[in-house]
Amino acid sequence: MMQTIKRFWKIISKPSNHLSFGFLTIGGFIAGIIFWGGFNTALEVTNTEEFCISCHEMSDNVYVELQDTVHWQNRSGVRATCPDCHVPHKWTDKIARKMQASKEVWGTIFGTINTREKFLEKRGELAQHEWDRFTANNSLECKNCHNYNSMDFDIMSERAQVQMKMAAERDQSCIDCHKGIAHHLPEHMNSGDGTLAKLEEMATSGYKTGNSYYSVRQLPLFTDKTLGTEAGQLNAATKVTILAVEGDAIQVEIDAWRKTKGFGRVMFEDFAMNINDGFLTKEVAQSDQYMQKGESKVDDLTGLPWQKVEVKLWMRNSSLTESRDTLWTFAKSTYDVSCSVCHTQPAENHFDTNTWPGMFNGMLSFVNLDGDTQALVLKYLQKHSSDFSEESH
Amino acid sequence: MSISRRSFLKGLLASSGAALVGPGLLQVAHAATAEEAGKWKVSGSHWGAFRARVYAGKVQEIKPFNVDKYPTDMLNGIKGIIYSPSRIRYPMVRYEWYLNRDKSDTTKRGDNRFIRVTWDEAITLFHDELERMQTQYGPWALHAGSTGWRQTGQFHACGNHMARAIAMHGYSVNKVGDYSTGAGQTIMPYVLGTTEVYAQGSSWPVILKESKTIILWADDLVKNLQVGWNCETHESFEYLEQLKDKIAKKEIRVISIDPVVTKTQDYLDCEHQYINPQTDVPFMLAMAHTLYKEELYDKKFIDTYALGFEEFVPYLLGETKDKVEKTPEWASAICGIKADDIREFARLLVKQRTQIMVGWSIQRQQHGEQPYWMAAVLATMMGQIGLPGGGISYSHHYSSVGVSSTGAAGPGGFPRNPDKPDNRIHKNQDFNGYSSTIPVARWVDCILEPGKKIQANGATITLPDVKMMVFSGCNPWHHHQDRNNMKKAFHKLETVVSIDFTWTATCRFSDIVLPACTQWERNDLDLYGSYSARGVIAMHKLVDPLFQSKTDFEIFALLAGKFGQQQDYTRGKTEMQWVEELYNDCATANKAGFEMPDFNTFWKEGFVDFGKGEDWVRQADFREDPEINALGTPSGFIEIFSRKIDRYGYKECQGHPMWFEKSERSHGGPGSDKHPIWLQSCHPNKRLHSQMCDSQQFRETYTVKGREPIYLNAQDAQHRGIKSGDLVRVFNLRGQLLAGAVISKNYPTGVARIEEGAWYAPIDESIGSLDTYGDPNTLTQDIPTSELAQATSANTCQVEYEKFTGKVPAVTAFNGPNEVA
Repeated sequence: MMQTIKRFWKIISKPSNHLSFGFLTIGGFIAGIIFWGGFNTALEVTNTEEFCISCHEMSDNVYVELQDTVHWQNRSGVRATCPDCHVPHKWTDKIARKMQASKEVWGTIFGTINTREKFLEKRGELAQHEWDRFTANNSLECKNCHNYNSMDFDIMSERAQVQMKMAAERDQSCIDCHKGIAHHLPEHMNSGDGTLAKLEEMATSGYKTGNSYYSVRQLPLFTDKTLGTEAGQLNAATKVTILAVEGDAIQVEIDAWRKTKGFGRVMFEDFAMNINDGFLTKEVAQSDQYMQKGESKVDDLTGLPWQKVEVKLWMRNSSLTESRDTLWTFAKSTYDVSCSVCHTQPAENHFDTNTWPGMFNGMLSFVNLDGDTQALVLKYLQKHSSDFSEESH
Repeated sequence: MSISRRSFLKGLLASSGAALVGPGLLQVAHAATAEEAGKWKVSGSHWGAFRARVYAGKVQEIKPFNVDKYPTDMLNGIKGIIYSPSRIRYPMVRYEWYLNRDKSDTTKRGDNRFIRVTWDEAITLFHDELERMQTQYGPWALHAGSTGWRQTGQFHACGNHMARAIAMHGYSVNKVGDYSTGAGQTIMPYVLGTTEVYAQGSSWPVILKESKTIILWADDLVKNLQVGWNCETHESFEYLEQLKDKIAKKEIRVISIDPVVTKTQDYLDCEHQYINPQTDVPFMLAMAHTLYKEELYDKKFIDTYALGFEEFVPYLLGETKDKVEKTPEWASAICGIKADDIREFARLLVKQRTQIMVGWSIQRQQHGEQPYWMAAVLATMMGQIGLPGGGISYSHHYSSVGVSSTGAAGPGGFPRNPDKPDNRIHKNQDFNGYSSTIPVARWVDCILEPGKKIQANGATITLPDVKMMVFSGCNPWHHHQDRNNMKKAFHKLETVVSIDFTWTATCRFSDIVLPACTQWERNDLDLYGSYSARGVIAMHKLVDPLFQSKTDFEIFALLAGKFGQQQDYTRGKTEMQWVEELYNDCATANKAGFEMPDFNTFWKEGFVDFGKGEDWVRQADFREDPEINALGTPSGFIEIFSRKIDRYGYKECQGHPMWFEKSERSHGGPGSDKHPIWLQSCHPNKRLHSQMCDSQQFRETYTVKGREPIYLNAQDAQHRGIKSGDLVRVFNLRGQLLAGAVISKNYPTGVARIEEGAWYAPIDESIGSLDTYGDPNTLTQDIPTSELAQATSANTCQVEYEKFTGKVPAVTAFNGPNEVA
């Protein structure tokens, strides 16, 4: 075997003795065209929906799900085929995507997702790949058809207007908000009463070191990148700065203040403001290993000493968003609807930051809010309280 | 169960003065045979759920709902509400106003002369006036924010309908707080971190198991648990029955601290600690003094869970400005309890597991913040907050608090806010320098003293110059104080609109009156059990709206139609579509935990039962981990001293709880030389505030010569030559009323009770005219509790009474308007 390879290498590495330079170059060119054509034709075949659904993993799962959505059937009769959304229109991107997709072919051959159960189990990972790609290209395939500039905001619903105008200003990636519109969402994102899913839909994906993000809900914190030892919990709508990305784990920094009566376990957004950023386990709160301690001062209104800390911990690379605006919009509409069933809800700036927790807790008996939404709405109220509002009330 | 239930009800009836008044509910239910003609339907109310037999388009009889084991006899008043002579039959307009509109002679307001108009004309007038306010003045001139105990039903909730329609038209003045708990809900977030008054309390089974002593501080559970904010289940009464049993067996001591022997004390057969009215704070301070001096208080608990004790102690010891040590001897002279008894009581509090339950009436008095704050300080010194069967609560008498919550979601309501806030007709948000939100009980001050600046909860409020008011299912001529002062204010209003089903005094003093139907003339649904969330109850329309009345939904849809937004108002949905949607949304919210049948099945069966919840201990999480489960106070700890309140610099609510003398007080207090009797105007036993006063037959079971009863001490009455059954004139410098004397051993000297909610029935519209039925707010004073809460002080009220000897005037309250043809 070794001999054969060596002989072949000798032949192709030697200059040609028999064929003219012209034949070699022109012939090579022609052969290239033929090969290129064939390759592209073959490639194009893989870009048709027929090819996509020729394996049952696609035809039995995502293809069926698509048929219940507006991208399959709508008033105007325009429909999106698989490649419209999933194959980049630029050649280099296309090739790159094909390289990635070979994994799915591998999957088909070896039966990684050959049953519905296996597929559902894998769905989160598969979906994440697509979302990462959409995030990276700013949802280019969506924008091939849906253009911010061509949107008529006036005929949108009130809430959509607010959201879409904000998104348009920042040329936001469509997938940030519109996950799960063509296929079902992964299992864990559909749990509970749907609120969690709504919050999760606001998360961006693909986090960059050095950038800051906000948690869409309460999230566990860990001591190291194995995400094995719990270090506490990040509250909803809390700012974190990414220090490192390691596979599924990210290291984050939380700039917070804490009260030093007790173990100093609770992190607050700012000095003397009871805006909860989350809490730490007693071990982490008492250790110097996970935080940089800063200045200390006493809050005059309670007499309690506070200390500034930069906490560095690890968490899963999910459920973070670039801006709190969408979270606030959700929180405001929840507040306006849920908290006006019994009485007119007080204006956000009717109370100050540290009064809101008491007022809010006193009203919770009659509202149907899960823990994540409660935390988010309370933070919204605090961040829009009289301390942050310019107009007097 | 049925035997004990009957004996329970018998106990209830025997113990109340109203035992004389006629057969109890169960007897009525027994008297009716099940086979009578008609159709049985399910509905609900603040008084509980029931089944009604409807025949020939009329409600024939009412039977308690089978899940309700302890129905209130107020269910006997329901039919009388529907078929009351007070029902508003047609849209009506005050005659003088109809002729001259905003140039009308407003001193004639209250003369009860009205003219009948068509619905279209009435809605047009209503709309014209809203337009005039927005264009001629601005949003500051319109106050449409007052609300009350709407009829039950989540979809038809009248306050929601009014708020949505008015907000779609333009902005207006709004309120914060309520009349029931204004002082409590404002002070407690500073001290314990929630309103407390509206918070779920420890579960009764835990209390019954763990408590050795229960202190009922001005807390009449048996009277007040008859009604609930949503459809009441009366599940609490099962536990009260067990408590009665444990008291008899001497397993639990219950002591009622109250000037009067309450219905609860009578029922439970528990102990009584008499106290002079309005002097709870001196008693509490002296007990704190004893605990401190005798070192009986829980130092460790205070160190871990509270702040500001060191700043409070000097006040106890007389080392601050007033230089008065708060000894039991000092308190005794004020509160009328012997010094040694105060010491004994203090020692009892820390001897064993003790649960304190505080009622709401002691915060509806001048400085009403103080007893609430001081009770929390006392409980903190006892160190039992967060322990099963220990600590303090301020809500166990309210809406089945203490019955474990199932955790199920209840149905939502009709949206109060506009769907498209930017589409409102008038976008002007300029309040002309006035405040847009006012403390609820200060609206009369707005009319009388516009532009005045007052302090309220850390803010400065500039009272808006209100020219027009809109009330829906809200009766301020019952719940506000000082009728004659209100008459002066109403002389200054240009337009008043009332939407109600019954001709309340508020309608009498209005210009445009629109007839709504009762809650039993429309389809709806409600949460069954406010805090327990026991289930969802259907409210089948029993009969069609009577006369020309309409549902609130229809009325405000008509108004929205006048400004072209009817479709947006209704979202294009009918009553039944809304009810079904609220049900389906509730089912979705409960998907994870509670199975709910489809809407049609629910509607047919009338009820979804979520069962019973799990036992729970209030503040146990805080006790377990005060850092993570911090309280909602500024510091996260119990605040015995509040630096925040201290910094406000208020006179009548300072950095820690204090004793302040009242403007009027009995038993030797200010004003008691001229008007020696303290008038208590607590929540009624036979009504829900002013609701059901118009139910004629039921009312006649407790009235005396057709008047509201005044409960009197025998010695006081004898001294004035008065016997039970006499008519008495009750008076002070603010007003005068007629009431019927009921002499009862439950009332000490210097104390009388007229229950609030008695309908105001002046002889005429003039200031100072005699109230012919007996509304206690003819006599109460309209002063704030303090600069902090600016809440009502109805229970700071001194009166005198005498036997009425003049020509007896007819009662003017219940026959609706005098129609001018």
